[in-house]
Amino acid sequence: MTTTTTRTRRRPGRTLLSTLAIVIAAVWAFPVYWMVNSSFQTLGRLRSPEPAWLPFGGDTSPDAYGRVADASFWDAMQLSLTVTLLAVGAGLVFAFLAALAISRFRIRGKTAFIVVILIVQMIPAEALFISQYKMLSGWGLFNTVAGLTLLYLAMILPFTIWMLRGFVAGVPAELEEAAMVDGCSRFRAFFTITFPLLAPGLVASGVYGFLQCWNEITLATVVMDPSNRTIPLWLQGMTTVSNQAIDWPAVMAGATLVAIPVIGLFMFVQSKMTSGMVSGAVKG
Amino acid sequence: MAQAMTDTEAPPGVPATAPPPVRNRRRRPAPYLLLVPALATLLLGLGYPLVRQVAMSFQEFGLAQQFGTADPGWIGFDNYVEILSDPTTWAVIARSVVFCFAAASLTLVIGMGVALLMRSISTVARLILQVSMLAAWATPLIASLTVWNWLFDTRYGVVNWLLVKIGFEGMEGYSWLANPWTFFLVAGVIVVWMSVPFVAFSLYAALTQVPEETLEAAQLDGASRTQRFRHIIVPTIRPVLSIVMLLQIVWDLRVFAQIKYLQGAGGTVSETNLLGTYLYQLGIAQSEYGVASAVAMVMLLLTLGLTFGYVRSLLREERAS
Amino acid sequence: MKNLTRLAVLGVASALALTACGSSDSDDSASGDKVIKLWLAGETDTPEALTKWLEKEYEADNEGTDLKIEHIDWGQLVPRLQTALSDENQTPDVFEVGNTQSPTFTSVGAFTDLTDKVGELGDDIGPESFVEAGAYDGKQFAVPYYWGSRYVFYSKKAFADAGIALPTTLDAFNTAVVELKKKSGDKNYSGFWVPGQDWRNGISWIFANGGDIAVQEGDSWVGKLSSAESVKGLEAWKNLSDNASAAPKDGLDAEAWVPFNNGEAAAFMAPGWARWSVPEEMAADLGGFALPGNDGAAAPVFAGGSNIGISAKSKNQDEAFALLQLIYSDEYQSLLAENGLGPANPEFTAKMGEDEFAKSAVDAASNSKLTPTSPNWTEVETSQVMEEFFGKIAGGADIAKTAADYDAKLAEILNK
Repeated sequence: MTTTTTRTRRRPGRTLLSTLAIVIAAVWAFPVYWMVNSSFQTLGRLRSPEPAWLPFGGDTSPDAYGRVADASFWDAMQLSLTVTLLAVGAGLVFAFLAALAISRFRIRGKTAFIVVILIVQMIPAEALFISQYKMLSGWGLFNTVAGLTLLYLAMILPFTIWMLRGFVAGVPAELEEAAMVDGCSRFRAFFTITFPLLAPGLVASGVYGFLQCWNEITLATVVMDPSNRTIPLWLQGMTTVSNQAIDWPAVMAGATLVAIPVIGLFMFVQSKMTSGMVSGAVKG
Repeated sequence: MAQAMTDTEAPPGVPATAPPPVRNRRRRPAPYLLLVPALATLLLGLGYPLVRQVAMSFQEFGLAQQFGTADPGWIGFDNYVEILSDPTTWAVIARSVVFCFAAASLTLVIGMGVALLMRSISTVARLILQVSMLAAWATPLIASLTVWNWLFDTRYGVVNWLLVKIGFEGMEGYSWLANPWTFFLVAGVIVVWMSVPFVAFSLYAALTQVPEETLEAAQLDGASRTQRFRHIIVPTIRPVLSIVMLLQIVWDLRVFAQIKYLQGAGGTVSETNLLGTYLYQLGIAQSEYGVASAVAMVMLLLTLGLTFGYVRSLLREERAS
Repeated sequence: MKNLTRLAVLGVASALALTACGSSDSDDSASGDKVIKLWLAGETDTPEALTKWLEKEYEADNEGTDLKIEHIDWGQLVPRLQTALSDENQTPDVFEVGNTQSPTFTSVGAFTDLTDKVGELGDDIGPESFVEAGAYDGKQFAVPYYWGSRYVFYSKKAFADAGIALPTTLDAFNTAVVELKKKSGDKNYSGFWVPGQDWRNGISWIFANGGDIAVQEGDSWVGKLSSAESVKGLEAWKNLSDNASAAPKDGLDAEAWVPFNNGEAAAFMAPGWARWSVPEEMAADLGGFALPGNDGAAAPVFAGGSNIGISAKSKNQDEAFALLQLIYSDEYQSLLAENGLGPANPEFTAKMGEDEFAKSAVDAASNSKLTPTSPNWTEVETSQVMEEFFGKIAGGADIAKTAADYDAKLAEILNK
């Protein structure tokens, strides 16, 4: 079995490709850099004829971070993290089980299930919030973490099932069956053979689900009390003031504070999963 | 849950005369149980609202009905007739379809390129690429929209500033959002910028499933880069690739936040509306939930129509397996 | 099959249990008191001193009742009202809405009818345009909460250096700002900052010439943008856009002070609070005056501000009205005025202050106007018809023809 180390052999053009990768990285990172940069500028300098390129020197300062990191930020962070992690965690487990069922077992009504999930995924949800509000209010779940989580879970599930199903389908069932000949149960075979190969797929769909919930605005507005704000509502609150100027450096500082833990979390998960994946492949 | 999964005893209710097992697969309750959490969640979280939405599309349903001061009357297809008889709707649909295909194909091409690139570059370069993609992905929506709008700002934007510096004097004070073509160019840049990380990471993840030894064997046999891509890589990642493609079409067809934001920053609404913003304007902003629901149904049919080929082949695949 | 059903229920229950454990709602109704909920728009639009005063006084006046004030961000106000007002358990008892948003809610029965009680709030509440916006079908549903107005901010130095006296008529103003730009000799300089899509300031030129956006004639609305008066105003405004301003033709009214702060504009028009966005070191140079009309008095300007009313679904109608009375009390009206918010009771307007900014605000408000009071006006705003119209005029479209086109669009929307 070949491991990734064999790929480190020098190939012609590799330096060229790496350079291209750095250029693409720069293009994708530039707006993010601009966000961080803006958080250090003064409001006046932010919008002036000569762009302010650097987040240090001149009249830059980290004051904006002091202005945003107050109690309301931490409250919003806590609520957003709770709801998002619960929804994504449950979403991955539920979707994983469903993906397993539809791609590894003969199930009556499988086609129907797939079509339903597909269509649910395609329905624009714009007018749903009216009914979703009534529903949660009727169940006494208005302004509860459980209620918002349930809606988010339902929002990301169809997509996650689809993605994971694609990844499960990419692993040949024969690999598992070979293990089953050796006396493994199907579940055991699945978990030892297929699961490690799915790890990157779990990460990719998990990250997407995470960001869906993390950025959601409408449901978080209508099913939670005004005092319980999620992160995007907290950020939005700073940009819709009506009798004073918008404190853009503070908005950007807030956005940076929001982005940093998310990037950190993803990097951590990604590295864990990548190493897990490699060792799994070697064992296989 | 773990107990349910290891429970292999067939419950009495399940018929004992199951069809003969194919490749060792027997019909047992466990596989069905695997579907229960997902199904239950969808039923609880979406079932009732979705049924309501379909019903509302055949009703006169606005704020008065919502506040209970008027009864929602059943009006048959009136909402549908209202939207579909308006030529604006068709212009919006045409615009959306074109924008959707342009943005989705660009996203897929770049995303695929980045995924392939991640495989064949040094660890350091890959890490830099991954971090920057993650950073772009993790940036809160409001912040990235604001920053992009600043970059393309007429007077103080970095884009105009740079263009002037490298010799395009005419770009000084150019209003990107005033003209529908450059409006959609800017919107397309933002949409692609936001979607590429997802496509790149998903496809990169799928690429890790490509058996390395098969690739090397093919290389030894003299298969070219293109041949290896077409005959080994694409077939392996096809399930993920086609799902990513489908999802990209679904999302780009209903793109909302980016368009709405740019319209509020200087775009001409009547010339730049796409389905997402049109629906919002028609239904939500004016509280005409009945009309909004009808547009949502029309969008569903349109999506199904656009992805029909894919859905059919998928179902055929499903039946064959 | 029974087994499966049981398991399905178990699955659902466990799914809910999983999500319920993080539940963290905190209710402060633990005291067992009756809670009256007041929704105010904007995080800081009503200053803390005012909300503190309301809470203290209300709870002192109404033994056993808690006043809970919640601030709703402007961006979330409408979706929250669309849902919460329909539900007697979640509805606020008293709530604030933006003045142009009020017709949306008055026309669908969201407010309690106050027609018989409005006299108890005061004899002479205003501004008139706000009272109109709160009325529907001959009944009064919402009353003015506070108002603000737009006036002109200018650089004293720029006017002095160019040797231009403060204009006292609209014509003199138009000439002065064109002159300011010409004298600067800089094509990127604005004598007066006129972003192309800024209709909220632009309509003042229409109003000042006797024109209007749309008026109700009999049962239907008729667009008035193409009337001779409106076209005259639009021509004057277009001249400013071309010859006094370097602002983008697709620009909006947001952050009009940015070019001023950068020294790239001699004057701009904005709501009164814009003065706090001009940096301190420039404050000495900053002046303000109400946009003059053709007759030398203040030109009519678009009024900003809010209305307030009682939710029809509120279970505490009497307590809610008591709160409204408290808001209309002399003390609270003075507090509003002292904090720069135009009070509904004109007796207290004088308390807004003596400086040129307060005077400009009061002058400008003396002649303020609102958008047409049709419940369909929301649609005009959400589809940005007016932004589009002014943008096209600024971009060089034929004024009379474009105005006629948009009159038709307005009539179509307003008469739906």
